[in-house]
Amino acid sequence: MAEQDDITIYGRRRTLYAVIALMFLVFFARLFQLQMIYSEEYGKKSEENSIRTIPREPVRGYIYDRNGTMVVDNRPAFTVTIMPFEFDKRMIGELSRLLALDPEFIRDRLKKGEAYSRFAPVKIKRDIDFRTLAALEENRDRLPGVDYHVESKRWYTTRALASHTLGYTKEISESQIKLQMDAYAPGDVVGSSGLEARYEQTLRGQKGAEFSTVNVRGQVIGKFENGKDDIPAVEGDDLILTMDFGLQAFAESLMTGRTGAFVAIDPSDGGILAMVSKPDYELSAFSGVTPPDVWRALNDDPASPLFNRATLTRYPPGSTFKMLVAIAGLETGALTPSWHVTCGGSFRFGNKVFKDLHVHGTMDLVSAIQHSCNVYFYQAMLRTGLDAWAHYGEEFGFGRLTGIDIYEENPGLLPTTAYMDKRYGPNGWTRGFLVSLGIGQGEVGVTPLQMACYAAALATKGEYRQPHVARAIVTKSPRTVDTLRFQTRHIEVSEKTWDIVREGMRRVVEEPGGTGGMARVPGVVSAGKTGTAQNPHGPDHAWYVGFAPFDHPKIAVAMLLENAGFGGTQSAPLAGLCIERYLYGRIIRYDAPPPAPRKPVPFPQALPPLHATLER
Amino acid sequence: MIYQEIKERFDYRTALVALGLMTIGLVSVYSATYDARAADIFHKQVLWAVVGFVALGAIAAVPFRLLQLVSYPAYFLSILMLVAVLLLGRTVSGSESWFSIGQVRLQPAEFSKIATVLALATYLSRSDVSLRKVKYLAVAAGIVLLPVALIMMQPDTGTALIFFGMFFPVLFWGGASRFTLVAIVAPVGTAVAALFGTTAFLTAVLVFGVLIYLTREHRIVAAAVFSLTVLVGVSTQFIYEGLKHYQQKRIATFLDPNADPLGAGYNILQSKVAIGSGGFFGKGYLHGSQTQLNFIPEQWTDFIFCVPGEEFGFLGAAIVLLLLMALLIRGVTIASAAKNRYGGFVAVGLTAIFATHICLNIGMSIGLLPVIGVPLPFLSYGGSALLSAMTMVGILMNLHAHRKEY
Repeated sequence: MAEQDDITIYGRRRTLYAVIALMFLVFFARLFQLQMIYSEEYGKKSEENSIRTIPREPVRGYIYDRNGTMVVDNRPAFTVTIMPFEFDKRMIGELSRLLALDPEFIRDRLKKGEAYSRFAPVKIKRDIDFRTLAALEENRDRLPGVDYHVESKRWYTTRALASHTLGYTKEISESQIKLQMDAYAPGDVVGSSGLEARYEQTLRGQKGAEFSTVNVRGQVIGKFENGKDDIPAVEGDDLILTMDFGLQAFAESLMTGRTGAFVAIDPSDGGILAMVSKPDYELSAFSGVTPPDVWRALNDDPASPLFNRATLTRYPPGSTFKMLVAIAGLETGALTPSWHVTCGGSFRFGNKVFKDLHVHGTMDLVSAIQHSCNVYFYQAMLRTGLDAWAHYGEEFGFGRLTGIDIYEENPGLLPTTAYMDKRYGPNGWTRGFLVSLGIGQGEVGVTPLQMACYAAALATKGEYRQPHVARAIVTKSPRTVDTLRFQTRHIEVSEKTWDIVREGMRRVVEEPGGTGGMARVPGVVSAGKTGTAQNPHGPDHAWYVGFAPFDHPKIAVAMLLENAGFGGTQSAPLAGLCIERYLYGRIIRYDAPPPAPRKPVPFPQALPPLHATLER
Repeated sequence: MIYQEIKERFDYRTALVALGLMTIGLVSVYSATYDARAADIFHKQVLWAVVGFVALGAIAAVPFRLLQLVSYPAYFLSILMLVAVLLLGRTVSGSESWFSIGQVRLQPAEFSKIATVLALATYLSRSDVSLRKVKYLAVAAGIVLLPVALIMMQPDTGTALIFFGMFFPVLFWGGASRFTLVAIVAPVGTAVAALFGTTAFLTAVLVFGVLIYLTREHRIVAAAVFSLTVLVGVSTQFIYEGLKHYQQKRIATFLDPNADPLGAGYNILQSKVAIGSGGFFGKGYLHGSQTQLNFIPEQWTDFIFCVPGEEFGFLGAAIVLLLLMALLIRGVTIASAAKNRYGGFVAVGLTAIFATHICLNIGMSIGLLPVIGVPLPFLSYGGSALLSAMTMVGILMNLHAHRKEY
């Protein structure tokens, strides 16, 4: 009996041992899982718990123009924030009254912020005035978790707007955050258009952070590790532009009330001197808070002020394209300088009659450019053919992006045989189509920027330089100036052809009977071409492209005025004034006697002084 | 000769394990309360440790027969105390479970656990009692259920659970039939499974059905138990529907602590974060941010395991677990070595009490079980709990010393 008992006792003991072993096996497995496999994750959570990170916003980089004038500055602005887990949600009503905000807006912001982190301040309102600040300070005790921080906001210092080129900064959208979760947090300001967007990484700088230790109630106990881990914010790098803000402001004022675009390029390096798109808007509307109604008004305006006409429009170039036909014809041997046409005021092709503005009489190539004779170019185009024309069109950068350093750009449209076959079928289009292309009409679309580049290539006899707005980046520490590099491409065209075409362009401006006489600049030989693009939706678009001085071009321009009428009377005079403004630094045509053209300030000497860091 | 005698009778292994756990407990309580309150709580715990050792020594040294003799009186005294505490006890965080004698507060429930084991062991060791008969089984259950009922009225669910955790192994040790054991576990297990959803419920029904079948019990009885199991499982879901919102939430939180990180799941989550963030080597003594910044409420009581877990990492936690495991192994070994049935029952009962505490507390701390407020023996702050743990070890050592007596 006793023996029997012993056996059962040992059996039961074994079972109990096994149960104990099993229990601890589970415990050890779980500990292993928590402390070895997921320890990093839990470590992060524990830090999130006890270490409060307060981000320090960097000061955005400054922007200078080619003469060293600061064009984009920063100003301090007070931003109201809420620390979600400290905030008493019953105070939303009170806070919304203080800040003049919709309570729903605050609730929404808070909810989104909380989803991101309960321990990160949520920005509720930017750029509050001092009256609001004082009211907030007065009620501080009753609004736990509500705080304000100094941030910087963009401040535009010159008379020029340059809205589309500089671009605006805006609070980052939710979708953008999702794309780059690590770099941005809700409420961060991000460059959203123009240079601000393109050079976001350069201008932005690096966020800093201060770490504090907090207890379970969120009370700050002190600096974490005496602040030795704090990360100072790194100021953004500065940009030096190729733009001349004197010219920019001048061009903008000339075009006040008009709709259109103006682009001026330094042909020697492809740097944009001025780029105007009208109508435009005040960038400062975006620098602090953008009231929704302002944003809506800009967006809904039928004149589309937010639309960059200099780089995004796609209009037929009209007669400004005649140099392209001439070059293609001469280079392929389809045309000779002496080949001539008698212009009777119209040209019949098939059963269709193509008109001209005047009866020009006998025209050779140079005089056809000078007088902008359509009948000559109808026939010249038929001789040249689509393929040769399209080839040189591509060489001059049409139908593709110029590669300018802002994101908003349209490649335009340059029809090729392949394109036409695809669009209309191999037999679906006729040579009649070519006749229109001969004078830059029909299915062809260009941007004013492309036209300025075209003018610059004509000015330099075929040096096609990638247009760009930024010239160099100035890093803060160490202070270096990194000149940006852009591509240059040579267009293979014979010297003789250049001379013929450029002579035609010179005569357009300088000789009696030229269509661009109104672009003349005193004391300087200028060359150009006018264009009047027909438009099924209304009056013609007025074009002018040109460059000056003729021998050593310093500026190439393209001016487009929508629905303005004749290029020669509308665009040419404004373009001439802009060229004058740039070459002389001011308008000299009313002076007597005319002074010598000024020398542009060479680049290295134009370096701006290191700007004082924004006071915090 | 005397040396031989001491070696034979003094259970130094169990004593060392208790001493080791006690030390880790004091170290942990010190860390958990390392701020303004430290002095008060820590010093109190040191005082209780000293009192506990005296009690341990005294109980280990008393004649074995005396233990058996006081079993029933102690049980009746504990019942009286439980009744008294219901009538004049003071409420601590929602339950009436404390007696105050001057500065000292005592928890009768702690004392009652030990007394119940002693009484149960005395009853079951009677030569005429057999767990194969329903009559005796019912009396044994009654001995346990009486204090449980009184404790539930306090209410103190955690301690009540300890009694069940103790009862089951004692029945097993006493030779209850497999069917009896399965019949006790099946309804409870199915009820818990039902909370996890239909799949878990059906699985549980299937498993218990097979187990019941394997016990080869009479068909009608087996069918009755099986029906009860299914009924309990189904009604659990109905009861759950009928529960108040906060009660449902508590259960839901147990099932998924992440669902409501700042509500009821907060403690479990923070506890897991504390232990998980400790990694292998820990953050260093007094350097655990979760512990030092009081992210876990009342950490020095039920969540004390987080302290070694966070500050000493896997190493520290493993040492604690190994010591606790050694304690249980010692308990079972002592039970099997006892030549008299009474000693065996007492040892198994006390070991089961320790085991249930450890299972519920550690399981909760590492997020495997819901938040049930039971202290971790030797480590958690609390005079009554510490004193009762020391008393239990004292009894185990006494049983070891007298293991050869019939």
